[in-house]
Amino acid sequence: MIRLQNVYKEYTGKPALIDVNLHIGLGEFAFLTGPSGAGKSTLMRLLYREETPNKGIVTIGGVNITRLSPRQVPLLRRRLGIVFQDFKLLPKQSVFDNVAYVLRALGVDEKDVKRRVSSALAIVGLEEEQLELPENLSGGEQQRVGIARAIVNGPPVLLADEPTGNLDPQTSMEIVQLLERISQRGTTVLISTHDVPIVNAMRKRVISLKQGQVVSDVDSGVYEIETTR
Amino acid sequence: MRSLRILAAMFKETISGLKRGGWSNWLVISILTIALFIFGGLLQTTMVIKSMVTSWGSQLEISAYLKDGHDPQKVARIISQLPNVQIVEIVPKEVAWAEMQHNYKVAALNNPLPNTLHIKLTNLAAVETTAEKLKTISTIEHIRYPLKVARNLNRFRQFIEIAGIVVTAALSAATLIVIGNTVHLVIQSKQREIEILSLTGVSPWYIKGPFILQGALYGTVSATLAAIFIWTLHLYIDPYVHDQLLSFLPLSNHSMDVGLLPTFIIVLILGIAVGSGGSAWTSGRYIKI
Ligand SMILES: Nc1ncnc2c1ncn2[C@@H]1O[C@H](COP(=O)(O)OP(=O)(O)OP(=O)(O)O)[C@@H](O)[C@H]1O
Ligand SMILES: [Mg+2]
Repeated sequence: MIRLQNVYKEYTGKPALIDVNLHIGLGEFAFLTGPSGAGKSTLMRLLYREETPNKGIVTIGGVNITRLSPRQVPLLRRRLGIVFQDFKLLPKQSVFDNVAYVLRALGVDEKDVKRRVSSALAIVGLEEEQLELPENLSGGEQQRVGIARAIVNGPPVLLADEPTGNLDPQTSMEIVQLLERISQRGTTVLISTHDVPIVNAMRKRVISLKQGQVVSDVDSGVYEIETTR
Repeated sequence: MRSLRILAAMFKETISGLKRGGWSNWLVISILTIALFIFGGLLQTTMVIKSMVTSWGSQLEISAYLKDGHDPQKVARIISQLPNVQIVEIVPKEVAWAEMQHNYKVAALNNPLPNTLHIKLTNLAAVETTAEKLKTISTIEHIRYPLKVARNLNRFRQFIEIAGIVVTAALSAATLIVIGNTVHLVIQSKQREIEILSLTGVSPWYIKGPFILQGALYGTVSATLAAIFIWTLHLYIDPYVHDQLLSFLPLSNHSMDVGLLPTFIIVLILGIAVGSGGSAWTSGRYIKI
């Protein structure tokens, strides 16, 4: 579903990703770990086409997204669910409207909007809060809104860049378990994190980056904390 | 249906953008209104003059005002001998004065008007040559003919046209800058929202659409205001022009409303073009996906 081939990315001469090769299959659930500055966010940004690589190819669902024209980028992003560390909710819009926004911008009729938003909110367990403003919700709840928004379009791929970075351990665990449940419905999920206990508890695939390179990639693995050497 | 829903959703965003615009909305509308008012006023004036020029320029008439103490009958007889002259109509000064007093209720002074001859010619080409000949007749004080007035008016119109283009261009540029600034401010205040929308796959044209609509709305409101002002101005100016100016010309009264509707339509189109163009340009510059 997600494939990187010989990807190299630098920021003004400073390499952030070096010769990265990676494949994540349909419906897979994987963690992307590594110390600060390892290139996790850079890799994510390549996937949702916030950045393009200097070298190499990035494909999602067989489509080479490094070649997309600016007009095609929104089409790609609609096929991805993206979850952010800082939630990125529209502050003046209710939970419902936040989740509904993209659908409405696409001209989906209000009946369908209601049906799809309600079902997304049900999945994340926020049916009761749909009329609240984000500021009245806890961090964990806000992140659930972010996840509901990410899945409302039924995307085949869900990307989450440090989705638990602003949450306490208990809530973080719940969020990751929620993402895992979503992946069981057939969605490919990639989560970047440096939350050791969570990674270790989940026993899922772990891809570790260090200084821009993939240093390990293990199925049902644990977070490698500077163990090598 | 679908595009209608998209438009409705965009319009909601436009309203929220207008709310954030605050007082600067009114600044934009004032400046755009002034620009459109001047543009529309000048445009319509040139249309009036053009139609005057066409209708007067084709009139086969010369008016000759006689010196005091000469018999109009005698002069008329001389003139009727000239080639291309069809009829000479005599308007004795007493008749003209009585008519004027009746029409305009002027004070009962001594009759200041001269005896007048209206000379009708057989063809347009003869107007100028006949006028030249009439000028050499010593009993004639001066002559007036629509073709000449039309010529002068035409020169005046050309001047207005150039002035209009310059003034409109300058004001449009000023308006574009003000609209650009206003829309830029709204874009800045919505920066985070725009980023979120872009990341969640909302297309750039949907993000920019509300700003362009906002500009189009400025244009529509300003054009409407400008049209109202032009209309009001007509209500005040037209009677004055008729009484004070046109009545002294040897010409049939000419309507001042010529081209009012086309003017309003052009003003509306220009307003919407400047408004939406300004915001399209600004949002294109500051909204990147
Ligand atoms: N926009 C940018 N401009 C310049 N350099 C950047 C930019 N974004 C990232 N970098 C650099 O690229 C490298 C990788 O950064 P990246 O944000 O991908 O790391 P990360 O693994 O997400 O780190 P963290 O865990 O702190 O989020 C770092 O050295 C960083 O300084
Ligand atoms: Mg990061």
